[in-house]
Amino acid sequence: MDTPLHTEPNQQQAASERFYSGALNRIRQFMASLGPLLTVAAWWKFGLYPAIGFAFGCAIAYVNFYWLKRVINGFVDRATGTARSGSGQGIVSRFLLRYVLMAIGAYVILAVSPASLNGLLVGLFLPVAAIACEAAYELYAALARGL
Amino acid sequence: MNKLSKLFLILSALSFAVPAFAQGGVSSEVNWVAIAAGFSMAFASGICALAQGKATAAAAEGLARNPAARPGIQLALILGLALIESLALYTLVIIFVKVK
Repeated sequence: MDTPLHTEPNQQQAASERFYSGALNRIRQFMASLGPLLTVAAWWKFGLYPAIGFAFGCAIAYVNFYWLKRVINGFVDRATGTARSGSGQGIVSRFLLRYVLMAIGAYVILAVSPASLNGLLVGLFLPVAAIACEAAYELYAALARGL
Repeated sequence: MNKLSKLFLILSALSFAVPAFAQGGVSSEVNWVAIAAGFSMAFASGICALAQGKATAAAAEGLARNPAARPGIQLALILGLALIESLALYTLVIIFVKVK
């Protein structure tokens, strides 16, 4: 008799864990969809060069976020003792390489067209916008489930 | 010896009176915004680095204590680091807007 009473909360917990474990993939999808959408909006509102800068910024932010995820995967693997591949030196160098990539992107944009630098800087905030969208989606899902 | 030390004392006092440090006829304005921008970027970078270090240390400690909580800790760590990095970027953007 006890089994159904215990399985229902367990099922709910498993469903909730499944939902929250997909948050990173959803954030990446939000970034992939918001980037082009906002680039077109920037082109329409501010012109070509700021839009190019914004697209560059979005691309750098996307790669930056992806590498951050990979670096943290490697770090967590090492912290839990389940490291499958990758040395600690590789993890640290990848972490630092992200900043080098951002600096190179900013330098290229500044050298080619200083007008698009503002667009580049705004584009770097794409992960923040994606995280805000994810927060709104989780709030909507929680309200839809009746909290 | 005593005279020599007095001589050096006088020379060192005179070295502060070089004409290069004299106030010029033309008033040179100091760009305080640029100086403040440099300091603010340094403060922001330093504090963000401290915050990232603290977040990573706490995540490592949590993972070592409870490896089964890996998905939740990993998600929180990635989001935390991304948001902390964005704080330094906010400062950079403000500097670019204010310092032209």
